[in-house]
Amino acid sequence: MRTIIPHENRGLNIIIAGCGKVGITLIDQLSKEGHYITVIDKNPTKLQTLSNNYDVMTVCGNGASYSVQREAGIESADLIIAVTDSDELNLLCCTVASRSGKCSAIARVRTPDYSIEANYLKNRLGLARIINPELEAANEVTRILSLPTALDVTPFAHGQVEMVKIKIPENSFLDNMEIQNISKNISTDFLISAVERNGEVFIPSGSFILKSGDIMSVVAARRDILSTIKKMNFKSTPIKNTLIIGGGKVAYYLAKQLLNIGFDVKIIEQDRERCEELSILLPKAIIINGDGTDEDLLKEEGIHNCDSFVPLTGIDEENIMLTLYASKVSNAKAVTKINRINFTNVIAGLDLGSVVYPRFLTSEAIIAYVRAMKNSMNSGIETLSHLFNQRVEAIEFKIKEAPAVTNIPLIDLKLKNNLLICVINRNGRVFIPSGQDCFMDGDSVVLVTTHRGFNDINDILK
Amino acid sequence: MNTSYIRHIIGQVLKMEATLMLLPCLTALIYKEPEGFAFFITLVVCGLIGFVATYKKPAETTIYLKEGCAATALCWIFLSIFGAIPFVLTGEISHFVDALFETVSGFTTTGASILTDVEKLSHCSLLWRSFTHWIGGMGVLVFLLAIIPLSGASNFNLMKAESPGPSVGKLVPKLKHTARLLYMIYIFMTFVEFVLLLCGKMPVFDALSTSFGTAGTGGFGIKADSLAGYSPFIQWVVTIFMILFGVNFNAYYFIFMRQIKKAVSMEEVKCYFIIIAAAIAIIFFNTFSLFSGIEETLRHSSFQVASIITTTGFSTTDFNLWPETSRFILVLLMFIGACAGSTGGGIKVSRIVLMLKTVKKELYTFMHPKSILKIKIDGKPVEHEVVRSVNVYFISFVIIFCLSLFFLSFEGKDLITCFTAVAATINNIGPGLEEVGPCGNFAGFNPFSKIILILDMLAGRLELFPLLILFHPKAWKELLVTQKSKRHLTKAGKR
Repeated sequence: MRTIIPHENRGLNIIIAGCGKVGITLIDQLSKEGHYITVIDKNPTKLQTLSNNYDVMTVCGNGASYSVQREAGIESADLIIAVTDSDELNLLCCTVASRSGKCSAIARVRTPDYSIEANYLKNRLGLARIINPELEAANEVTRILSLPTALDVTPFAHGQVEMVKIKIPENSFLDNMEIQNISKNISTDFLISAVERNGEVFIPSGSFILKSGDIMSVVAARRDILSTIKKMNFKSTPIKNTLIIGGGKVAYYLAKQLLNIGFDVKIIEQDRERCEELSILLPKAIIINGDGTDEDLLKEEGIHNCDSFVPLTGIDEENIMLTLYASKVSNAKAVTKINRINFTNVIAGLDLGSVVYPRFLTSEAIIAYVRAMKNSMNSGIETLSHLFNQRVEAIEFKIKEAPAVTNIPLIDLKLKNNLLICVINRNGRVFIPSGQDCFMDGDSVVLVTTHRGFNDINDILK
Repeated sequence: MNTSYIRHIIGQVLKMEATLMLLPCLTALIYKEPEGFAFFITLVVCGLIGFVATYKKPAETTIYLKEGCAATALCWIFLSIFGAIPFVLTGEISHFVDALFETVSGFTTTGASILTDVEKLSHCSLLWRSFTHWIGGMGVLVFLLAIIPLSGASNFNLMKAESPGPSVGKLVPKLKHTARLLYMIYIFMTFVEFVLLLCGKMPVFDALSTSFGTAGTGGFGIKADSLAGYSPFIQWVVTIFMILFGVNFNAYYFIFMRQIKKAVSMEEVKCYFIIIAAAIAIIFFNTFSLFSGIEETLRHSSFQVASIITTTGFSTTDFNLWPETSRFILVLLMFIGACAGSTGGGIKVSRIVLMLKTVKKELYTFMHPKSILKIKIDGKPVEHEVVRSVNVYFISFVIIFCLSLFFLSFEGKDLITCFTAVAATINNIGPGLEEVGPCGNFAGFNPFSKIILILDMLAGRLELFPLLILFHPKAWKELLVTQKSKRHLTKAGKR
């Protein structure tokens, strides 16, 4: 079979075990990128709908069973991704696969018991990667809360560079200002990489005029972000406490991180037993046993005065309602977690502020890995992030032996349209390049683009 | 319904048909026949309409099962209408309904003919007739999926609507590659047969037409006596290849992947061979007195059995004159048909196996009313949905059959003729018994009956439901009306 498939830009053979929420996001994105996908799941009805909607092959059965994996073509697979409900099944599935085939394996493991030992498990079981959507979501929320002006924070270059999404408020002095003037007036330490206006996304040039109501994404070195935001006259009062609704895994990870950086954390959880567990795990946090969607309880626990509010219940609708309520009665910075991605248009119209989609975080991490894998010999992708409803990609490349782009001043490179080179990280020194700078071997480069599916640094050329 | 996408698909199919008509044009050039112009004119018209229809790309590429079914049925209808034009233009078949009958019979791989004298046709028309078998055998849309990069991941619905069998699976993850793989196996086997026929000293033109006819399990002969005039070697080759083309193509894929065990253990294929062997044995003993010698009896009985069960419809002898038992066995084989996922028609062996297993299960539950028993095929439990759809298929089949027979009965012909005429068309076989037997033809029917039979052929080839959906008033309403409100919606969505 493999021999007769033409080699024109051949995709990878990927097996995905489990078609839950993350599974479907992965199938959607990876099949769009032209990979050959086989899905294993126990539920035949789910597989039926799946094969109607996506161009994939389906196998019904237990993903950890060797014979099922063989039926799905494990011998010729390049990668197996286990994202079933059960951690143990995922680990077993990947272990069986990496023993029998020559493929890499990615497992989703989210129980805190295992996630502490993630590295040990990874090395011992021979996995390529272990992903934990809840932990990723918690990381994301933490990043947003530590920079409350931002709607969204994406780290690059191991956290040295951050891409921050900010909404320009009414009457800001940025209203009606050309981008080149901003850098003249304020500082040159940052770059506006993309602007969303009325649902359209632009990669702005110097002559682009900002308007209030725009959502812009700003790239800067981490140490400069705070000062940049201050210079732009955005109010940024640091957050000291937070109120979390729901005591699930994300809440646990988040509370642990926030307590570490000195926040006061209050968690409202309905289930008494879970509350007791949490109080043992998080001795410094205040655990409240009660219904987080009860208005009186929220008032009693001081929703009016809290700095930040994070609804993390398992039900998206509840989370959205809670955020809308919170923005009505208080000035708290709210971060909403949304699990399903249906009705994104409606959600985008609600003005929720910061929204975190755990399944996107997971699939982005995996897709970055897949793209890097497809191009393992040359310059690889380090990080990949989708911005503005997946219309813009921000990608970090590591440059290795790419003579077509290195040692040439950027101004002389024939770059594609709708592409902006944001930051160069050279031996730990981060800077925003001008036209005279060149790429060098060993640099890592962050760029934003509206093109899809960049695999290689050479893709930036026309 | 996504009308613009359906229009796009139909346009692509017409463009493809225009390309395929190059073959009869080429034949006309070789044999210096003036009939080639008819094909050339149709080619140009067909191509132009195709280009106009595909000029504007559809905005929305998602289609659902109903669109897949409607598009498939419409494609087949358009394909047949344009395929029939050359016959009318050349004057070889004067009446359009007759020409349409002949073309539909070609594309649906039926092989039923209204021509009283086949040998009068020009070479290019003969080849086009056989070539329609070849195209229709594996499926027009499958061919389209294999060669044209259609955008949209939901094209599986097209393949589902066209491929024969109760459940359709893919061989490899990408639909395009599955379609290509199927066609590769198909082309390879056709080529092998062609070469073997040449070895049997068959003329090149005859060998090509016969290979096309066998591969698609069609059955248009280019001689009045079908294959009776050729040497025993040629008849044996055709017999074997007819049987091979009636096998589920998944089996060939497994052999290709060197998973012989898996191919051999396919329950449907096993049953298929058992049925063939049993039928040959019965007919062999039943007709032994008619022929001289074991070889001849065996050759004729196995050729006829292979021809009928794979729904091809070639013949080497007039089986209408056989004893009643043999005639009955052949009629029975007509309904059983070939394997699912092959190029043959009929109810399909897998459906028959499934229905017999359901009966067995039902009997078992009479003995043990509280027992739980799952039907299994190839050692895997069969979903209740599949069992249900097979039962519904069978009932619909019977209803359509009875209705067609009712309409045909007005002709005043004898019941066996009418019964086998419907059976031979709805199962895509070709010859029936008595007046429509291997030595007869369908010319005696009136145009109304011919249209009924045309619909039967299409319904049989597309497995009933894709064609039936066109008779649902709601489908037409959706096809014609919803466009406006949909446009409104997409605008709102963009904002």
